[in-house]
Amino acid sequence: MSQAAVSFGEELVRSLSKSLDEPDWLTASRLEAFRSFSQLPPELNPLYTKYVSTFGFQVDQFKMTTGKSEVDFRTFFGDFLTGKESNIVLQGNETQVHAELSDSLASQGVNLMPFHEALKAEESKVRSLMERRNVKSSGDRYGAFVNAFFNGGLFIRVPRGVKLEEPLRRMLLLDSPKTPVVEQLFVIAEEESKLVFLEELYSKGPSVPSLAASNVELVARAGSHVDFSTIQLLGEQATHISNRAVDISNDARATVSSLSLGSAVSRSRMNFLLNGRGSQAEGFEIFFTDARQRFDFETNLVHNSPDSTGSTHARGVLKGESQTIFKGMIKIVNAAKNSRSYLAHHAMLLERTAKSDGVPSLEIDNNEVRATHSASVAQIDEEQLFYLMARGLSPDESKRMVVLGFFEPVLSRVPIEKTREGARFMIEGKWQGEKRRLADRETLLAQTGELTPEVKETEDIFERHYKYR
Amino acid sequence: MKLEIKDLHASVDGKAILKGVNLSIGQGETHALMGPNGSGKSTLAYTLMGHPKYQVTSGQVLIDGESIVGLTPDKRVKKGLFLAFQYPVSVQGVSMFSFLRAAYNNSRPAGSEAPTIFEFKEVVAEKLKMLSMDDSFLNRYLNEGFSGGEKKRAEILQMALMQPKFAVLDETDSGLDIDALRIVAEGINKVSGPQTGSLLITHYQRILKYVKPQFVHVMYQGRIIESGGEDLSRLLEEKGYTWITGYQEEDQAAAPSPQ
Ligand SMILES: Nc1ncnc2c1ncn2[C@@H]1O[C@H](COP(=O)(O)OP(=O)(O)OP(=O)(O)O)[C@@H](O)[C@H]1O
Ligand SMILES: [Mg+2]
Repeated sequence: MSQAAVSFGEELVRSLSKSLDEPDWLTASRLEAFRSFSQLPPELNPLYTKYVSTFGFQVDQFKMTTGKSEVDFRTFFGDFLTGKESNIVLQGNETQVHAELSDSLASQGVNLMPFHEALKAEESKVRSLMERRNVKSSGDRYGAFVNAFFNGGLFIRVPRGVKLEEPLRRMLLLDSPKTPVVEQLFVIAEEESKLVFLEELYSKGPSVPSLAASNVELVARAGSHVDFSTIQLLGEQATHISNRAVDISNDARATVSSLSLGSAVSRSRMNFLLNGRGSQAEGFEIFFTDARQRFDFETNLVHNSPDSTGSTHARGVLKGESQTIFKGMIKIVNAAKNSRSYLAHHAMLLERTAKSDGVPSLEIDNNEVRATHSASVAQIDEEQLFYLMARGLSPDESKRMVVLGFFEPVLSRVPIEKTREGARFMIEGKWQGEKRRLADRETLLAQTGELTPEVKETEDIFERHYKYR
Repeated sequence: MKLEIKDLHASVDGKAILKGVNLSIGQGETHALMGPNGSGKSTLAYTLMGHPKYQVTSGQVLIDGESIVGLTPDKRVKKGLFLAFQYPVSVQGVSMFSFLRAAYNNSRPAGSEAPTIFEFKEVVAEKLKMLSMDDSFLNRYLNEGFSGGEKKRAEILQMALMQPKFAVLDETDSGLDIDALRIVAEGINKVSGPQTGSLLITHYQRILKYVKPQFVHVMYQGRIIESGGEDLSRLLEEKGYTWITGYQEEDQAAAPSPQ
C-alpha cells in the first residue's frame, strides 16, 4: 500500500480512497465531507490559543498511511498477541496486528473486524449504514475531517438476540510520529442483543506529536443494550479527537463511558439521540488532567421520544495549569413527554492555576418531563484533608484519598466492571505519576491478591437537585 | 507521660480566641471541659490536633515533654493524640472500610506488621460489636448520610481502632439518644485504659455519670477560669455559667488587663 506525503487536500482524499480500494460512492462521500471540512470555519474555543485549530500543530506535516504502518508492537502487546485474551483487536496505528474472536462468538455471528474488511464483505449493508451516519460532515469540522480522511476503522456488530457479558476489546498503540490514525467505527447492537466494548488508546515511547481521531456510530436497535467504553492514555503531545453519535431505538439502552487521562489536547463529543420510546442513555466523561492539558467535552442528550431517560455525568480533577470545558445540553422535544434527563458537571481543582468551566443548557419543549442539573467547580476541601490527617494519614495520602474518592460517585456507576476497575487503576497510576497499562492491573492483582470492596452509589439522581419544569 | 498545655494562645484568621490556656493531663486521667457556647473549647481541640487554620501565637503544647506545635496532624497522631470531632466531616467516595484501615495502619506502633485485609476485618468486627454498630457501615462512604448519633459512634469506633494515649472528645455526647449515650460512654471507658488520658468536652452532666472525670474545668473567653472536682459539674448544672462568669467579669473589671 502507499504512503502519501501530501497535505490534507482533495488529492489526499482521492489517493486514500484509491489505495484502500474503495467503491466510487465512498470516494464521493469523502469528497463531500472534504468540502465541508474546508468550508467550515476553524472551531474557536477558549481552551485553545486564538486562531489555532484544535490540532495544535500543522497537520500538513503528517503522512497518511493505509494498512502498512511499521510499528514495533511486540513488546507492548506481549502475550495479548498470543491469545492471552479472546475477542480482542490489537492495532499499531491504523494497522491491525492481531485479532481474535472466540469460536463461540464467531459461530453466533458476532463481527469484530476492520472497517474495510466489512466493506468488502457486505458492501450494500455498510453503504446504507454510511448513508445514515449521525456524525454529519455539515455541522462539525472534525466530524467532516474524519469522514474525509479516515484511513482505518472498525466494524462491530452483535446479531439479534445474542448477549455478550464480557467486553469485546481493542487496544490501539500510536507509534511513529506524523502518522495520523483517523478512524470510522460502527458499533451495532441488533434487536434484543447486548454489546459490551472496551477500548484503550496508548502512545508508545517518548512523546511525539501524533493524532488519533475517530467518528463512532453507535446503533442500539430496539430492545438492545450497548455499553461502550474508552480509556484514553495517549502521549503528552498527542491530539485526540472523538465524535460519538448514539442512535437509540425503542426500549434500548446505551451507555458511553469515557476516561480521558492522556494527550495534550482532547476534543470529545457525545451525541445521544433518544429516538425510541422508552430509550435510555447514560454518558460518562471522566477526566484527570495535569500540566498544560486542554480537554474540551460536549455531551448532548436529545430526547425525541416519550418515556426516554438520559443522564450525563462529567467529573474530573485538574492539576497544574490544565484547563477543561464541558458543555452539556439537554434537549427534550414536544413529543417526548414523560421523559427524564439529568446533567451533572463536577470538577475539583488541585491548584489555583487550573481552570474548569461547565456550560449547561436546557431546551425543554414539554411540561410533562423532569430535567435535573447539578454542577460545581471547587478547590479541594481543606476540612476533609484535616479530618483524614487527624486519623494519621500523611498530607499526601489524605490528598490522594480525597481525590480518588471524588471520582467514585460517578466511577462506581460505570457499567462495565473491567472498565470501572481499570479506570480506578489508571487514575491511581496518573496520581502516582506512573505510566501504566490496563493489563498491569491483573499482574499486580495476581501479586497482591487484594481487592478493596466496592461501594455502590445508590442515590436516585432524579430525586435531587434543582428541578427544571 | 503527660499532655501539657502551657499558656496557650491561638488565633483564627488573625482573631485571638485562646488567651492563655493552662492544662495538664496525665495518663489514666479523665478531665471534663465545660463552658458556654463560643468560649473556645473546640478551638482548643483543633489547635491541639494541628488544624492549619488555627495559629498558635504563643505558649506550648507538650506530649511527654516534647513540643508538638508545628507538627502536621498525622505526626501528632503518631505521638498518641486523638480528636473525636464535634462535627465529623463526610467524604464522598471514600469507603468507611478503606478509611478505617488507613487510620488503623497509620496509628499502629512503629515496627509492628500491618494486618492483612482479613485480619483487619476481624479487628473491626469486634469494635463494631462493642459499639452496637452494623457491619453495613463499612460499605458506606465516610460519614456520608450518617445520622448525628451514627457519626458520634463512628468517632469512637475510630478511637477504638487507633488506641490513642491522649484523647480529646469534643461533645461526643451531643445528639445521642439515651441508649446510644450509654453505649458510647461504655465504649469510651473500654477504649481508654489506665494508659489513656482524656479531655471530655461537654455541656451536660449526664455523660459524666458513665465517664467519671477526676477534674472538671470551665472555659470562658479563651481561658480556663475555674477548675475543680466532679462536684463542680453538678454545681454548674444547677446554677448555670453566670455563677462563675459573672464573678469573673467583675474580677476583670476590678483589675483591667493591659490588652
Ligand atoms: N474558623 C473560624 N473562623 C472565625 N471564627 C472562629 C472560627 N473558629 C472558631 N471561631 C470563633 O471562636 C470562638 C470559639 O469557638 P469554638 O468553636 O471554639 O467554641 P466552643 O466553645 O467549642 O463552642 P460550642 O460549645 O458552641 O461548641 C467563637 O466565637 C467562634 O465564632
Ligand atoms: Mg465546640
